[in-house]
Amino acid sequence: MTRSHLRFLLAGVLGMLAFVVAACGGSSSSSSSSSGSSASSSAAATKKAAEAPAKKGGKITMLASSDVDYVDPGHTYYTFGEMITLATNRPLYSFKPTDANKPVPDLADGEAQVSADKKTVTVKIKSGIKYAPPVNREVTSKDVKYAIERFFSSNVGGQYPGYFQVIEGAPKKPTTGVKPISGITTPDDHTIVFKLTEPTAVSFIAALVMPITVPVPEEYAKPFDAKAQSTYNTHVAFTGPYMIPNDSSGNLTGYKPGKSITMVRNPNWDPKTDYRPAYADSYFIRTNASDANVAARQVIDGSNMLLDTNPPSNILKDLVTKVKDQYTSVPSGGYRYFPLNTEVKPFDNINVRKAVMAGFDRNAARLARGGKYIGDIATHWLPPDFPGFQESGGYKGFPDIDYFNANNESGDMALSAKYFKAAGYASGKYEGNNELLMVGANADPGKAQAEVAKNQLEKMGFKVRLRLVPQDSVYTDWCQVPSKKVAMCGGAGWFKDFADPQSMLEPVFKGSLINRSSGNINYSMLNDPKVDDAMNKAALLEGEPRLKAWAAIDKMIIQDAAGIPFIWDKTTLVRSKNINGVPNPYIALWDLSFTSVK
Amino acid sequence: MAAYIARRLLWTILLLLVISAVTFLIFYVLPSGDPATARAGRDPSPALVASIRHQLGLDRSLPAQYWDYTRKLFFHFDFGHSFTNNTSVKSLIFDRLPNTVFLVVGAAIIWFLAGVGIGIVSAVKRGSFWDRALMGGALVLISAPVYWMGLVCLYLFSNDIGRFKIFPGSGAYQDAHGFFSKCWTLVMPWLVLAAAFAAIYARLLRSNLLETMNEDYIRTARAKGLPERRVILRHGVRSAITPVITVLGLDIGILMGGAILTETVFNIDGIGRLSFDAIQRGDLATIQGTTMVLAAAVAIMSLVVDILYAFLDPRVRY
Repeated sequence: MTRSHLRFLLAGVLGMLAFVVAACGGSSSSSSSSSGSSASSSAAATKKAAEAPAKKGGKITMLASSDVDYVDPGHTYYTFGEMITLATNRPLYSFKPTDANKPVPDLADGEAQVSADKKTVTVKIKSGIKYAPPVNREVTSKDVKYAIERFFSSNVGGQYPGYFQVIEGAPKKPTTGVKPISGITTPDDHTIVFKLTEPTAVSFIAALVMPITVPVPEEYAKPFDAKAQSTYNTHVAFTGPYMIPNDSSGNLTGYKPGKSITMVRNPNWDPKTDYRPAYADSYFIRTNASDANVAARQVIDGSNMLLDTNPPSNILKDLVTKVKDQYTSVPSGGYRYFPLNTEVKPFDNINVRKAVMAGFDRNAARLARGGKYIGDIATHWLPPDFPGFQESGGYKGFPDIDYFNANNESGDMALSAKYFKAAGYASGKYEGNNELLMVGANADPGKAQAEVAKNQLEKMGFKVRLRLVPQDSVYTDWCQVPSKKVAMCGGAGWFKDFADPQSMLEPVFKGSLINRSSGNINYSMLNDPKVDDAMNKAALLEGEPRLKAWAAIDKMIIQDAAGIPFIWDKTTLVRSKNINGVPNPYIALWDLSFTSVK
Repeated sequence: MAAYIARRLLWTILLLLVISAVTFLIFYVLPSGDPATARAGRDPSPALVASIRHQLGLDRSLPAQYWDYTRKLFFHFDFGHSFTNNTSVKSLIFDRLPNTVFLVVGAAIIWFLAGVGIGIVSAVKRGSFWDRALMGGALVLISAPVYWMGLVCLYLFSNDIGRFKIFPGSGAYQDAHGFFSKCWTLVMPWLVLAAAFAAIYARLLRSNLLETMNEDYIRTARAKGLPERRVILRHGVRSAITPVITVLGLDIGILMGGAILTETVFNIDGIGRLSFDAIQRGDLATIQGTTMVLAAAVAIMSLVVDILYAFLDPRVRY
């Protein structure tokens, strides 16, 4: 999942007036050991907070730099939306704050059952889970079936169909109106069966944590879904411990787009059916909060408050060095990278790409984003605390790949020269006339990061034309459009959809998924049959062999020099003194069902 | 006078039509973000984008799109739905416009009264310590960026993160209920927004008044034995203030389109913030809506100023 562009963008833009790159004061070293310990200590801190005795009650205010993309679980995709979904709804499976890698049954009643041929998945659904007013009836398996079917309609516009098109009869392109899917059956009100076209039950089950599996009552939602653009987004029927207040027709009176989201207890929620404690009585989320510095200070100095995402770097430094007990750093489960477009000269030469990777100062790029507090320097693709991370060499990376590992975090120009010479440039620098097009965001931190990348390339002899455009345009109008021939996207990121390495590597680097018109997310245009083949095989594996297979793919992509992963993000979550804040590592945001007032 | 007002009204409507056409051309014809792609979200299939394009009517001919756009705009004040969250743009605008109006009108009253008062004192006491102090202060306020001044005020005087906890802080406006409570939360935003404008108005009025006070009719008024106060206020200020009124109208009009910086630093949900957020997200429908609000506000305020001008100075009723 791409972490919400909006979130980072607004945090960056609203904070840009006070964003001082130098203020982060990050040293150029980031030893593996310290990185490792920070990741494990954040996991320990999260576990401690989640298991601490807490009291019920109280109202908590969150100052959020962005807004939910959609409240409709069939349409939402960004983490902020998932944070709301996790507190107000119940997908089949979800993650407890204490473990971001092993989902637990939520709406489901136990583990999914898989047939011997791995092409049939059966999920039982708990009894006694009711929708909030005005629906007020028990959830059935048919509601999950409808939820998945509506996801494929253009009226709703589900955003990650790829994971679910493996269901028999699932539409390959959006339907007009909601159409039944033959591969989903409901033998009774508490059983749902998925028939798959491929033996990929393992990755399919992993995807059942996504909001697509949140039940939707057909009889209630149908009139909203019948509209060209479904209006269910403002009429969601909730099943979780919290709900957004609504009126008798279901219209969400507590959701004011761009302003605020109010959440109160769902009167029909039965704690006996849920692992969530739901301590707080209510939440008030002020979306698109103002100046990031002011918001952060209000949370730090105030009470009963949370901040939704990273504070500005100057405040981050204060937090880490002075305040200390009012923040938690959580690995975001993703990587930020500079793709190298393998179809654009001279990046079509693998040795040129390796030279760039060898000489690129990743620490400088990290400084541009805020310094050492905002993440660890990447040495490969799969991020810390993620399945396959250790198999990929952990923080050290692949020791047998000299041009990209923990030893050249700040760039190694001598090593870079070696690869330039291998590419035919005797001077050890690029000597050609090709001008590289780089596109970056016109607001910090994306702008600062793109400018660093430009300087790095120029240091190696390249001529670079940097185009700075609005954040969303970086992707939709440039990097995702192969015909624009963007040699290097001035900053891209990829974040987990669920805890499986396939979701981290396949969408970004599988050649067969390249979309040559628009909406392409393989920015490197990597089309290596060996990688594709390895991905197809790895998709069928389970357990440790699966992790090893995806770690091997991680290595293959580094060997293909398809891009420069430069940071494994951490999100620093800030809270008031009297708040026991519990992050959920799955979304790298607060878990509102576990957070409480001290 | 009635004919003059009718003529100006007609021009205003024509102006808005032209502006609507220009905004339509900018957003739909010139290369910009694709609304369908924006709504489709991340990694959309071409089929999904095509389907959404059809739903939004973007696959229709340009004249058909423009007619549809104009018809909805002028007959229903309908800007369609936000591309990012599918909310009616009209409701977004109506939800936020009162906040901006409240902020701007309050600030305008402060800056107009303060600016005029200071301008008169400075002109009357020309060359004195007071004149120099007031004009020096005005120069400082003009030079200080609104955003910076807002932050300084918050860090000094807000009751949550301030050193001297006096005024409600950032975001307090949204939590306030009732007229006086809302006014109290707006004291700092009003003062910050008014400061620079008051300084500009003071300097403008001072120079106009100094010029006016040298006119023959002022000498005549004094020769007739009128009290100096009456000479200044009735004869001098009335004439000197007309250019200030013009600027006031345009300033209010422009700020109705959003006092972005003030709204941002004090976390007030106004048109400026809405516009700013929409620009960041490439939400064209909302950008069009806020652009038209700004255009309409400027056009209407120009009309009001022209009418007011005609009352103040009969010579302009051409």
